[in-house]
Parts: sequence; C-alpha cells; structure tokens
Amino acid sequence: MPQVFSRTADTWLRAVALGALVVTLAIFLGALAFARSQYWDVVARTPLQPVPFSHKHHAGELGIDCRYCHTSVETSANAGFPATHVCMTCHSQLWTNAEMLAPVRQSLAENRPIDWHRVARVPDYVYFRHDIHIAKGIACVECHGRIDRMPLTYRAKAFEMKFCLDCHRNPAPNLRPRDEVYNFDWKPPADHEALGRKLMAIYHIKSPNQLTSCGTCHR
Amino acid sequence: MSGKRVWRSLEEYQRSDAFGEMLKAEFPSIFDLWTVDRRQLLEVMGASLALAGMTGCKPVRSDDAVPFVNRPEGFIEGRTGHYATAVLFEGYAQPVLATTSGGRPIKLEGNRDHPSFGGGSTPFMQAAILDLYDPDRSQAPLFNGKPASWADFDGQMARWRDSWAATKGAGLRLLLGPTTSPTMLRQIAELRTMLPLAQVHLFDPFGGFDRVTPSGLRPIIQDADVIVSLDDDLLGPGPMQATNARAWGDRHGDIPLRERMRLLVAETTPTQTGSKADRRLGVAPTRLPSLAQAIATGVGVSSDGVRLTQKELAWTKEAARALIQARGRSLFVVGRFAPPQLHSLAIEINRALGNLGRTCKLATPVGLTSQSTEPFLDLVRDIGQRRVSTLFVLGANPLYQAPGNLDFAKLYATVPVTVHAGLHVDETGFQSKWHLPLPHALEDWSDARSPDATATIMQPVVRPIYDSRSAHEIIASLTSDQPASSKDAVRQTWAAKLPDDASWNGVLKSGFVPEEPQPAPTEPPITNTAIDVPRVGDGDFEILFRPDPTIHDGSFANNGWLQELPKPLFKTTWENVVALSPADARARGITSGDLVAVEANGRRLTGPAWVLPGQPRRVVTLFLGYGRSHAGRIGNGLGYDAFAMRDALRPWNATGKISKTGARTTLATTQEHHMLDAEGEGVVRTVTPQHPSALREGDANQDSFYPPWPGDKPAWGMVIDLDRCIGCNACAVACQAENNVPVVGKDQVARGREMAWLRVDRYFAGDPEEPETYFQPVPCMHCEQAPCEMGCPVHATVHSPEGLNLMVYNRCIGTRTCSSYCPYKVRRFNWFDYTTDAPSPTEAQRNPDVTVRGRGVMEKCTYCIQRIEAATVQADIENRPIVDGEVMTACQQACPAKAITFGNLADGGSAVRKQRSSERNYALLAEQGTRPRTTYLARLEVEPGDGE
Repeated sequence: MPQVFSRTADTWLRAVALGALVVTLAIFLGALAFARSQYWDVVARTPLQPVPFSHKHHAGELGIDCRYCHTSVETSANAGFPATHVCMTCHSQLWTNAEMLAPVRQSLAENRPIDWHRVARVPDYVYFRHDIHIAKGIACVECHGRIDRMPLTYRAKAFEMKFCLDCHRNPAPNLRPRDEVYNFDWKPPADHEALGRKLMAIYHIKSPNQLTSCGTCHR
Repeated sequence: MSGKRVWRSLEEYQRSDAFGEMLKAEFPSIFDLWTVDRRQLLEVMGASLALAGMTGCKPVRSDDAVPFVNRPEGFIEGRTGHYATAVLFEGYAQPVLATTSGGRPIKLEGNRDHPSFGGGSTPFMQAAILDLYDPDRSQAPLFNGKPASWADFDGQMARWRDSWAATKGAGLRLLLGPTTSPTMLRQIAELRTMLPLAQVHLFDPFGGFDRVTPSGLRPIIQDADVIVSLDDDLLGPGPMQATNARAWGDRHGDIPLRERMRLLVAETTPTQTGSKADRRLGVAPTRLPSLAQAIATGVGVSSDGVRLTQKELAWTKEAARALIQARGRSLFVVGRFAPPQLHSLAIEINRALGNLGRTCKLATPVGLTSQSTEPFLDLVRDIGQRRVSTLFVLGANPLYQAPGNLDFAKLYATVPVTVHAGLHVDETGFQSKWHLPLPHALEDWSDARSPDATATIMQPVVRPIYDSRSAHEIIASLTSDQPASSKDAVRQTWAAKLPDDASWNGVLKSGFVPEEPQPAPTEPPITNTAIDVPRVGDGDFEILFRPDPTIHDGSFANNGWLQELPKPLFKTTWENVVALSPADARARGITSGDLVAVEANGRRLTGPAWVLPGQPRRVVTLFLGYGRSHAGRIGNGLGYDAFAMRDALRPWNATGKISKTGARTTLATTQEHHMLDAEGEGVVRTVTPQHPSALREGDANQDSFYPPWPGDKPAWGMVIDLDRCIGCNACAVACQAENNVPVVGKDQVARGREMAWLRVDRYFAGDPEEPETYFQPVPCMHCEQAPCEMGCPVHATVHSPEGLNLMVYNRCIGTRTCSSYCPYKVRRFNWFDYTTDAPSPTEAQRNPDVTVRGRGVMEKCTYCIQRIEAATVQADIENRPIVDGEVMTACQQACPAKAITFGNLADGGSAVRKQRSSERNYALLAEQGTRPRTTYLARLEVEPGDGE
C-alpha cells in the first residue's frame, strides 16, 4: 500500500498551523491597534463645516475670549454654540461680503440656524458637565488641546474612558488657578506639585474614590 | 407592634397551591412561560443565534449642533426653566410648575407657593404632561371629517355671525364642559348680552344633567380634628385630592396625639379614604339616608328614629359622639354622589355643631353650575323639538358621556350644524359637522380657579404643537370678526385686579392671584323633600356608577401612564372591572376575571368581575371612563362603557341583576407581582400609642461576612411614612415622568413585566368582608449590603461611596441575576425595546438627564441620581457642602401628604435623620441583613382616649 502522506506533509502541516496562528494573532493585534487608533477615536479629523471657521484666527490671533461665543461654559453642562447674532456682532461690519461667510448671512436673513458639526463629543451614556470642570480649575486646553492653533477645528484628545479616569484618579497635576483656565499659554510654576496640592484643598476636590464612582458620569 | 398577617390577594389569603408555586418560582414573571420543552428551547435558541447578526444595526447618532439664530435673553443651553401655570381637572385649576428643557416641557411639579396646594400633586397632574405630547391629538380643523383650514371655518363663521346678529342668536346653543375660568365666565356673560336668545348649557358628567342644587358647603379639612365622611372620598381622585392629602399629611405622622385628625368613614364602595379611616363601615347606598338621619338625631338636629343594623348603630353612635366631643373642630361631609337632601342635612349638622365658619363654610361655587346655565336636559328637549339650529360643543364629549337612556347620538345627528372643539377627534368630534382642535392647557393662555377659589393665570410654556385655537378665541369669534387673542382676553378679565405689567408679571411668576375678594356666600336652598329610596328586590343588586380611579371620566383614556398605573385598591390595569363583594362572589361561584353580565336600566353590559375585599354585600360598582371608540390608539376598545347604562335622572345608582356568562378573561393585575417572601409577616407594621416601637425580634442588626460599607458623606437615605401615605400613586407617576420609564402594554403587564420603578403595594389584613387596607410605596432600598451586587457577573450594579446602589446600563448584559437576588423585587428588565419606535412627539417628553434604556438591560430606582448630581455640582461650584432639602427625589416632591423624606443620613440635623430615629422606624425584611437605606415609619393606630 502506497504511503498516504508525502514526505513533506508534516512540514506543510506545521507551516499551515503556524501560519494560522500568526494570522489569528495579527487579526487580534490589528483589531486592538484599530480600536486605539486615531481613526477609531475620531481624533485630528476636520469635518466639513458650513463655514470654515478658524479658532486659530479668532481665539489665537485676535485673542477673543472663549466665553464670548461659548457663553454657558461656566453656568451649564453645555458650553453652548454661538447664535448667528453673535457672529454678526462683528461680521455685520467686517468682511460683510466675504464669500466664505455667505451661510452666516443667509442664516440671519432666513432666520434658519447654521448647522454645525460637533467635533468634541462624548457618548450618550456619559453625562459630562463643563461648569464643574471650569469651576475646579480644569483648563479648556486639557481636553480640547491647542484650539488657539487650529485653523480648522478637530478633536485633540481621544475621549476614551481612560482619558477621563486618568485625571479623576489624580486631578492635582491638571489643576490651575481659576483665572488661568482660559489661558492657553499658561506655564505651570516650578513647584507645580505644591500648587496642585494647594488647589485640591481650596477647591475641595473629592476623593478619587468618589470621583471614579460610576455614578459620577453614568446614570 | 402588631403581628397581623397581611395579604395582597384572596388567593394568597386562602393560601392556594398554585399561588405558593408561583411565589417560589425563581422568576415569578416568567412562571407561566416555563412550559417550553427542551427540544423547543433548542429550536428557539438556534433561531435567536441566527437572528443575532441582524440586531446591532442602530441609527448612528447625529453629530449636528444647531444653535439659535438669536438666543432668547436669559436662555441657558442645557439648563431647565420653571414656569408657574396650571393644568385642569374637571375644569378646576391644579397649579403646577412646568419644568422645560430646551424649550419643551418635560415635567410638572406642584406649586409650592400656592396657598392651598402647597406643592402637592396628584397622579393626574403628573400625567398631564404626557397628554401634551399625545400623538393622537387633533391636529387641524375638520369639516365633515375631511381636513379643512381655519380660514375655511372663519369664512363660515362670518356668515353665521351675520345671521345671528339679525336673529339675536335664536337657535344657537353652546354646550360647555365644566369650567372655572373667569375669562370664560366673562365671555359667556358678554355673549348673553349680545345674543340674548342664544343659550348656554353645561355638560358635567359628574354633576348631574338636570338642574341640581350645589352642595354649597366647602370643607376646610386642615382645621378639623374629627371628620365624619358619609361616602365622601376626600383622599381619592378629585380636584381637591392634593389639598386634602396635604391636610391629612400635616395632621398625621410624628405629631402630638391631640393634633391628630380622626376620620370615620361610611362608604358604599372601598376607597382610599375608607382605607385610611380610623373606623370604616361598608354600606349599601340605600342605607346612606338612614345613617345621615341617625347622626342628625345623635347630634340633636333631628328627633326622628331610624332602624339600623348592629354595625351601623355602633358606627353612627361613635361618629355622633366624636362630632359632639370635637364640637367646633369637627366636620361632617357627604359625598358628591349622595342625594341633595343629605347635603342640606350636612349643613344643618355642621351648623348645630358650630363647625360652620371654622372647619367648613358656605361658599358660592367657583365655576359654571347648572344654576348659572341651562341644564343639559333642556338642550335634549329642545333638540327633540327642533329648536336648535347650531350647536357648539366646547371641551365636552356628550356623545360618549351622556346617559344611555337619552340616546343623545341620535338627537345630535338631527341638529343642522354641529361644531365640536376639543383636544381629540373624540366620539363627539367624529360625529360633528365641524371639528376644531383646542390647545393643551400648557400651550395657550387661559385662567382657572382651584377648588378653594384661588385663581391661576395659565401661561403657555410651549408654542402650540398643532394648528389649534383656544376656546376663548372661538367664543369671542361668535360675536366679533376681530376676536381678541386668548392672552388679550385673559388680560382684559384681570384688567381691574392686575392693571399694570408689574402686577401681571408678579402673578404669572407666583402662579396664583393673591387675596381676591370672594363673593358673599348665599345660603343654598334647603332640599328637604323625602328621599326616594329605591326598593331592592330579592336577588337584585344595587349598582353604583363611579369614576374610574385612574382614567376618571374617560378623558385620560389615551394616557399610557394612567392606563398602566395600577388602580389604588384593585391593582388592575388597562381596563375597568365590575367590583363585587367576596360573599356575593362565593355565593354565585364568581372569581376575579370571570366575565359577568350586568343588567340595569333596561340595558346590559359585560365586564370582568373583580372580587373586592371590603365591598358591601349586594352592591356592584361599575367604573366609568372605559369602552371608548375614539380616544386614540391607546384608549380605544378597552373595558366596558358604563356611561351607556346610566339614567339621566339617577346617574349614580341603579338596581339590577348580575350573572355569570361562563367566559373568562385575563386581567392585567399587579397585586401578586413582586411578592416579598415574608409570608406576609412584618412587611407593613402598625404601632399604637401604648406600644410605640415598630421593631421586632430579629430586626437587630444581623452579623455579616462582608465588611461594613464605609460611610462617605453625604450618605443618602429615604424614609417613607406609612401613616401619612394615602396610596394615591402620585409618586409612581412622577417617577415615570422623571425617569423615562416606558409603558409596556396590557399583555406585558399581565406577564409581570411592568416597568414602574416605584410601586405602591396594597395589603389587606383581617376578614375579607371588612378588611384593614394598607399602602406601601416600594422603591429600591439601596441596601448597604446589596445582594444584587453580589450576583452581577459583570459588575453592572455597584455601590457608590455615597450609598447609592448604581446601575451601569452599558455594562449590563441582561443575565437578570440581580433581579432574582433582590429580596424586595424592585428591579425591572427591558424584555423588549420599548422606546425606539414610540410615536412622535412622545420622545419630546423625555428627561435629557436620564438615559433612555435599550433592550436587554436591567433598570431600577436610582434615588433620582440626576437630581443628586445636579444639586451636588451646584454646591460644588459654589464650594460649599450640600444643604438638607436641596435634593428632592421626584416621588418626594410629588407626594401631597409629605410621606417621603430624602436626605443625608450623615447630617445630624437633617429631616431624614430625624425621621429615622423615630420609634416607628423599621426596615423592610430587616432579617435579611441587607441594611437598606430606605426605611419605613409604621402606621399609627389610635383609639379614642389614647391621647389622654
């Protein structure tokens, strides 16, 4: 009776088994890498907006305060988007005929809101509040990055649970004096650690145990 | 403390075998589904695996951010606003604060500043918000059932107006539902001067159809030490429920014994008032005149003797003695369905006792009455004589609610022009030539008075959702081609009292008009004709027609929250029942759920029997409000229509026969759902002044293998006072509104899958013919040693440092282990997706601060964590500790009797801590060692003489 398996069969079997293992591992690792990629986290992407609004120009170069447009950032969970009338405080005088601003003028004329696309957002099951973070000295830049250097706005940080938890577990290094919250160029003093401890006491920041309780963000 | 055995149903009382099996099942909610065999189960599993790939296709959330073009001044995105206004109940104002989020009202709270309501609410006030978003509301005018425009109607109206101007309104009739609106009353008076031949009729389904004498007596129950009620459901559904419950709460609980209110009730069918009474007597309605006479004799108003049974004699003697002992501080009230002679007698009795002017007063009715208008029966007569050419029906539904013997639908069809204005294209709107949509109370300007005559200006809190026009504008357009807008009309009514913007805005903000001069009360005419007591033959039953406990006159029929709300005493949902006494049921072999035929007034109807402990013998109670054909997709075709059986001259009682049809139906009753495995012992407790402690052996803290929960501050806790609770369910509906709790439907309720986070358990004790009745609201206990948390394989339910038992929805994989571990049965599982396909615009009611749960997820009471968070964050922003009373849970805020206290147990001065240190404090199933954060205060049972 002839041999059923060729002489190389054993080698093939090993090669295929090894190959299958490698492919499985690659898919697994690939999926992991994808889940942590900027693509999945929607980081550094600039969606098409009705008006190519530049934070770099308005907030950086002109130095307009964040709160001029995002009026409710200190008083509400939502920072708030500016109404068309806010844009028109300046643009009824400046660049009144610019092609780029046509949607703004149209919105005012037709009394129809401008349809922006949100760049920074957290999932529905996360109840994030701006007001408390501002009140406790967490600067805009901590989550939104160098907005003042963005010609087109994009998400600077991956809003994963880990990102939130890192700070909720140890808030001290991210705290600032209350009046430096909107300052993008603030440099921490040399004894940042001591300042962090001091601010923790002044702001009555809660224990990590309380800050990381599920109910703080999910309900 | 008493060792009474309590029971929820007659099956439990009799300890039937099936009941025991049901109770012992791991999941009582799927007990009856456990008939699947192994092969079938594998098939189903295979199919669900195959279909699993098809789920998970969910619409992607929109990234849109849409700001204002011009932001209204003072509007802060993401914050809620509160506006004082009122919703209506039988035409009376029920003052509310409407919470709006992003411009849409999402919740109604009681108005705390209101002099008589003081912040309390009722299930109907809480549920009114859902009616605003009812997708079945009328959306545009209809002409002969076809869509039309307001311009079409205005053109038609202009022609009518010309002809009425010539004929002084001859042939024009208005039929109005109950109203207390000063603007409406002013407009009617103006109409009468301009069109003197036009006539205005009142259609009040609960007020009688002929000209009736109003009772004229307005009780001030908060000042009464003793109340004797003859079939008056003071604490039950009605326009005064919240104010009465407030007085009840203030005079119960941890107060000195001598300030405690004593309540003696004789009633014809069990009610909440009877359940809370110190002495209750169940009697047939034909016995009421004798009882009233006996009390009149007892207090010396009359000297006529009457024949009474032993029990009646004991009750009337005690009642008369109590009334006399508390002379000047006692109160005798007679129910609205009793004959007018008894109301006259009540005034006599209170006058003789010196109560008049102290615990009650003579008062002019605040709204339209059959005295100030023409009665409905005159309209019926005139239509029959062809003297009505045009009939406007405003805010009434006579084709559904008119007594069956009038055959009003047939008459209505003979009127040449009929115009119906209402919230829905209801039975009347459907048969009218013109139908006009009215706005919801929260959508337009109006005004109304609460039962104590305090007026509220009703301001709109949202722009009308549909193309509606207010009743004020419709009435004005009868005589003017430039009718005043509803706002101008209301402003004009109040021009003298509120002349400038400052006073007007002040009243809008506070929600009521302060210190108005009241019209001098007139002595109502005394009705002392002999009472016509019908003879009840052998084998006959006395039949009562009563408003349904949750649907009322049928106007709430399309409200899913109220349909699914278990009726306070029967715990049935989604339909009305035929209530009869256990003795009668036994004699005729009837059990709950048997379809029985009732014959009376020459008509017959069929409905499911409900054997009701405490129901007097030979009395059958029928409930009005069901059997609707044009209520909407929720209310259509449920239950039987008892309006059709009524007689116009005797609308509350009849005599008739009852028989078994042999058929049965499945009732969606929740009375055996979520049973506690305690064999009925120690669940609801009572104490007496002699034995004031509610604690029992075995209650002492159990040892635990688990370390004690470290108490961070604040430590949230709740105390529920069973002495104050009147079982009204306002808390349950408030919870549903606040927490986006879905409605699941009759079939799901019948399987034990109702989603209510807060249930009000009803227990009986003692003889089924004359039981004691107890109510017990049961939210999550937030146990410090929570068994559910031990059970969850994925840590989806965990404990917060502040003592909340949290539910993390996006971790939950739906094993339901937590539910089977929960000794209190407060966890609810989303068996289906109840929310995604909910018809628009109901989603606009949802609270944006609470997650809308998906399928396959467990949920339960959170102590309103969104309210805790909001208050905590506010205190944190202001860098201060949270203050007692800053957090109010939805149930606590809604409770009219202030039976629920919530707060920080770690704060020595907090109200909840004080309550918890009461001797009446006890934990539910304390022997389980769960250390619940929610505890109860036992009901106090006081006998006369205990206080001395």
